[in-house]
Amino acid sequence: MTNKYYEFFCPVKVIAGKAALEHIPYELTGMAAKRPMIVTDKGVRAAGLLEPVIAACEESGLEITTIYDDVPPDSSTTVVRDIAGIYRQEKCDSIIAVGGGSAIDTGKAVNILVSEGGDDIAKYSGAGVLKHPLKPFFVVPTTAGTGSEVTSVAVITDEAKGVKLPFTSSFLLPNAAIIDPRMTLTLPPHITAATAMDAMTHATEAFTCMAKNPLSDAYATAAIKKISQSLLQVMDNPKDSDGRLELAQASTMAGIAFSNSMVGLVHALGHATGAVCHLPHGLCMSLYLPYALEYNLETIREPLGELLLYLEGPEVFAATPASRRAEASISAIRKLRDALYKRCQLPRTLKETGKVTEAQLDHIAEMALDDGSIMFNPKEVTLEDARSVLRRAWA
Amino acid sequence: MLAKRIQPMVFQARRLYVELMFQVMGRALQAVSEVDEKVQNEARALPDGFLFEMMVMPDGSKLIVEHTGQGRFRYHGDKAPRPIDLSIQFKHIAHAFLVLSFQEKTSVAFANDRMLVDGDISYAVRMTRVLNRLESFILPKMVAERAVKEYPADLHLPEKLISAARIYLKVATNFVETVRA
Repeated sequence: MTNKYYEFFCPVKVIAGKAALEHIPYELTGMAAKRPMIVTDKGVRAAGLLEPVIAACEESGLEITTIYDDVPPDSSTTVVRDIAGIYRQEKCDSIIAVGGGSAIDTGKAVNILVSEGGDDIAKYSGAGVLKHPLKPFFVVPTTAGTGSEVTSVAVITDEAKGVKLPFTSSFLLPNAAIIDPRMTLTLPPHITAATAMDAMTHATEAFTCMAKNPLSDAYATAAIKKISQSLLQVMDNPKDSDGRLELAQASTMAGIAFSNSMVGLVHALGHATGAVCHLPHGLCMSLYLPYALEYNLETIREPLGELLLYLEGPEVFAATPASRRAEASISAIRKLRDALYKRCQLPRTLKETGKVTEAQLDHIAEMALDDGSIMFNPKEVTLEDARSVLRRAWA
Repeated sequence: MLAKRIQPMVFQARRLYVELMFQVMGRALQAVSEVDEKVQNEARALPDGFLFEMMVMPDGSKLIVEHTGQGRFRYHGDKAPRPIDLSIQFKHIAHAFLVLSFQEKTSVAFANDRMLVDGDISYAVRMTRVLNRLESFILPKMVAERAVKEYPADLHLPEKLISAARIYLKVATNFVETVRA
């Protein structure tokens, strides 16, 4: 008998496809919610993405009680407290987060306060603090990358202490994630590319890191196939709503995969680079993915080789000798990055970003070594290893 | 029938083994922080007075060590003088036994959700590196390879033997002092 063991959990109802937004009123009513609050940011509102959500609810006779549209890119404890105050004042009974990672994380944190009580969100920081289900919570992602709609984690900055507070609980998972192609149709090309590469990294690391399991593998491979088949099509034809839906679904599937199997070195380096150089997360993922895979190559040769089928399709997979498939998978990812660079100048190296200096690499390496993701990387990463991957990713 | 009869004894033996291993590891953590520079460098990033706990849920065996500054640890047994800063908790004694009997690597136990981290995750990563370093020193290479993700390539036999001897001597001395006290 082996010691093999895994856990897999995803109770989020996924509502995906054409006219998915129009299911929100029914889902809210099913949970006896009548006074929803929308939590979003100015960019989402300016892009006109709230209108179809509001129209879908109003058409069914469900009024949106209040809208908070000032979530900053890096949400804070003060913002969470303020939104919770408005929620209580307006006697809301449910939350709909519309946006990317920050709006969704803010929605999760607000839900803690309005369900558990109090004004100090820091009190609920950590793992397993929450013991009861929270208020009805729905998420409408407007990017196709973070997968936050299916993760049980939120990160909120405590401005006073200057630290990022993590919140982890299965009760943070939304009751439903609504994936509607209308919500990502107007995403600019470089954000489409970076967020899709974020999802690609989630899936690739989920499939190759230590906590991989048969169920997360199924989601990860399906996500990689969808991204490989649709990303360049969408880049060439941004109004391709079928392709947009494929990417949005891939992002959710990759989210389900990595939240059940964790990620590794790419994320450790990416989190550190984001903190030191303020580069967008998706861009960091795209930057580091091939270099981290090369570093891990001998430990992940078999699963990485399997991914060639989903990256390049059955003909290429069959024509590539088994012993060369892992390298071919890395080449396929490099090829995709080159194509994205050609279409929207998504940087492939740290130097190409123009926002990182060589002098910062040591600091990034040190920070990456303390990142939680590194624990699940299949190979033990030393400081010198991290430096060497960074040097390769430099130029 | 026989299996049913001896089961309580097996459970008791497992509990005692885990308790003993926690006592050895706690003392060994203190010892390795006095002996190894790499461990001291790792520990220096922890705040002075930082309390680290490893325990079996819900209220089983535990080890508590404190970072007293300059990269040094002090073993506190199973009693914490203050609230704990970082706790690594095994969900069940069976999971603790798997790890402490080197049937499952610490990193694999994390990946398999056998353990929970309560506290700053970056400190947990650091303490895991310290535990790996300790295990690489005090266990025979063949056993250590089962306990850690990757046996350090730069740890050669003479250094390992000398450090292990110093750690074991300090652990034994600490045990004797505890008994005398």
